[in-house]
Amino acid sequence: MNDVWERVEPLLRQVERPARYVDREWGVVRRPDAGYHVALMYPDTYEVGMANQALQVLAARLSTLDDVACERVFIPWVDMSAAMRAHEVPLFTLESCTPVAEMDMLGITLPNELTYTNVLEALDLAGIPLRAHDRGETHPLVVGGGPCSHNPEPMAAFFDAILVGDGEEALLEIVASHRASMAAGLSREESVRALAGIDGVYVPSLYLVGDDGVVRPVDDAPARVTRRVLADLDTYVSPTCPVVPYADVVHDRATVEVLRGCSRGCRFCQAGMVYRPVRERPADSIVRDAIASLRCTGYEELSLTSLSTADHSQLEEVLRRLANRLEGTGTAISVPSLRIDSFTVPLARLLGDGRKAGLTFAPEAGSQRLRDAINKNITEEEILTAVDQAFTAGWRRVKLYFMIGLPTETDEDVTAIAALVERVFATARAATPPGERGGLRVAVSASTFVPKAHTPFQWDGQLPIEEVRRRQVLLRQAMPRKGVELSFHDAGSSLLEAVLAKGGREAAAGVEAAWRAGAVFDAWSEHFSLARWIEALASAGIDAAAYAAEARDRHGALPWDHIDSGLSSAFLRAERERTDRAETTADCTFGECTGCGVCPGLGVDVVVAGGERRG
Amino acid sequence: MAEGFRLRVCFRKAGRLRYLSHLETGRAWERAARRAGLPYAVTQGYNPRMKVAFGPALPVGTAGMREYLDITLTRFVPVAQVQEGLRASIVEELAPVECGYVSPTEPSLASRLTIAEYEVELERGVPPQELERSLDALMRTGGLETEHKGKQKFFDLAVVLPKEPEVMSDAGRAAVRVWVRMGPHGSLRPETFMSAAIGPGRPVAVTRTELFIEDEQGWIRPL
Ligand code: SF4
Repeated sequence: MNDVWERVEPLLRQVERPARYVDREWGVVRRPDAGYHVALMYPDTYEVGMANQALQVLAARLSTLDDVACERVFIPWVDMSAAMRAHEVPLFTLESCTPVAEMDMLGITLPNELTYTNVLEALDLAGIPLRAHDRGETHPLVVGGGPCSHNPEPMAAFFDAILVGDGEEALLEIVASHRASMAAGLSREESVRALAGIDGVYVPSLYLVGDDGVVRPVDDAPARVTRRVLADLDTYVSPTCPVVPYADVVHDRATVEVLRGCSRGCRFCQAGMVYRPVRERPADSIVRDAIASLRCTGYEELSLTSLSTADHSQLEEVLRRLANRLEGTGTAISVPSLRIDSFTVPLARLLGDGRKAGLTFAPEAGSQRLRDAINKNITEEEILTAVDQAFTAGWRRVKLYFMIGLPTETDEDVTAIAALVERVFATARAATPPGERGGLRVAVSASTFVPKAHTPFQWDGQLPIEEVRRRQVLLRQAMPRKGVELSFHDAGSSLLEAVLAKGGREAAAGVEAAWRAGAVFDAWSEHFSLARWIEALASAGIDAAAYAAEARDRHGALPWDHIDSGLSSAFLRAERERTDRAETTADCTFGECTGCGVCPGLGVDVVVAGGERRG
Repeated sequence: MAEGFRLRVCFRKAGRLRYLSHLETGRAWERAARRAGLPYAVTQGYNPRMKVAFGPALPVGTAGMREYLDITLTRFVPVAQVQEGLRASIVEELAPVECGYVSPTEPSLASRLTIAEYEVELERGVPPQELERSLDALMRTGGLETEHKGKQKFFDLAVVLPKEPEVMSDAGRAAVRVWVRMGPHGSLRPETFMSAAIGPGRPVAVTRTELFIEDEQGWIRPL
């Protein structure tokens, strides 16, 4: 292994925030003499990537293998990458400052479509050929995973293998398989092929896209790659000694994952579909891991994370026990966001600093009809009650998230957002003593609907960008001016997200062309250029606007049909049909199974730690 | 109101971690104190925080051999025990050098520490005699005009440099020891001073080696 620190250090004097590149944090595990080296990469800056819990989980799992070193890699900011290119310094790992190209494996998580060009940037900086078929015997295996693995095609060409689903066990199997192949002296091609034998691993080179758009294996690889699911989250402890960054990272706190999955069933939400079933961790384990983690890291804040933490059947017990244990230590406890219907003042009080931070709710749609159509099972009354209680109890700020362009949305639904916000504002105002009304804030954030694979809306198109903009104007005009701050998520990046979220293998050429034209850090508005992307996609034969807007045949082939998330397409179709009738579907953790197919299909079950959930 | 026990920690910021900012260093130390299980006091109010205060900020890229922080403890813990606990709770590059208790009524470190001693290491090949000459020439002008982010600033060298800089020519390396007085007039960065003396781009490493309290008796160490 070559330590390139001597060449990195001179660059640090000319770049912003050098702490990103120096390593030496508390909690770093260093294994220079290991027999096998894995680099785990999050395709964004250090500050964003260090907050990623999945990588912490995987690093903790890998650390149980004595002879394996696991090192971190992030994308250098543009000043640093320019300096690295100018001085021919390759992309390096943090722990040992080794060129990434010298690793045995490079694991990359794909958190969202706007990080795709960062992956190419990293491969290029590392000196690893972008396309899997151009790589030689000495290059590391490039293995992907994470949320975007559910539609891997746009990035398939750049990966040797992609893991679909939970990685706790699968990653260790991948490492074991590669080590065995190395020991047996197998070629790169043979080693990659061997990975296809692991459940949940998709090896793109073993599949071809037919004229009908269906992705099929060329030989004995499985016809469909079935998502890996960890049946019992309690099999492994939550990572209690993660690396503690010096830099001010996005979520700079200790985290304990309290449950995985969410079956509330919001029809636009990919996470709510592809991480089923709900698996809760028991209260005892949560408290144990939380205390251990705070002790090991020294963090001043603890976050209980999941897709919907307030749904945990033992949350109040957990919060009470933690409050007891942490009294007098100045430790704050937080949850990522609360559902409106699970908000209660006592619960929010247990969350300490809540009043300062303000409340965050996501009604997503303004009218009851549309909320029913997307299966956001909350009523206006619940929203207003929660706001009234919160502001009576001293809260002064609330942030509301909405989406524009959801399937079946009409102009009335758009203006209904403004009407709802107006009533929220009036309720908040009435609950606030006259002298304190100056500090009252209602923030509204509206994003654009992006159709995602493995959801009931996977066949839908996205509204044309001109129409999105028209509805944004409509909303702005209808929105009360006083006391309400309205912001829109950039419709241009949502358009790109839609193209890549819906895209097939042909999109890879567009991603590569965009990166060659300079696209990187697309999630950072100052670096994003829609015009550049439209041109790049066009060079790959993709008309971005038409592609994003196209609605697909609900019985036809989809680019992700070979990825089996466990959801039955009949369920997704039925859910889509219920949308048109504005019919809701209940959460199976509060009542009966609603037949999504995941539990019987993947041989797992819902795990509710407290025995039952109360609605 | 000054209650509790004020523990003063002298620590390093060295090696790669010289690239930490003041804020990052502070956060690292607060977390180390938590990991060490020190009985730290917290502030009153809705958002309680550890009662800790730091000495003058050290810029990103500048190392420190004897930096200081004060932390208020709710009960007395023997110094040796504190030191052992902290040493096991922080990385080597930020290791504690020594600890001790000071009076809880002491004015803050930031206001008391007014003299900083730096060692500026220069690129090899600058002959000591030439260095002496350039420094002398600059000192004789008596003042230094600097520009930072478009703002002009004038430093009276007799005020900001309480002692003549010393050229250290041991073991073939070229280094200069500079003493800077910090205060309401701002503080002169040793790099700025050296660039003014010998031209830009020469210093390769800057280390703050000591911090002193200046009073009638002279310069005293804070511990
Ligand atoms: S199969 Fe039934 S119980 Fe399991 S997640 Fe789907 S709806 Fe819920």
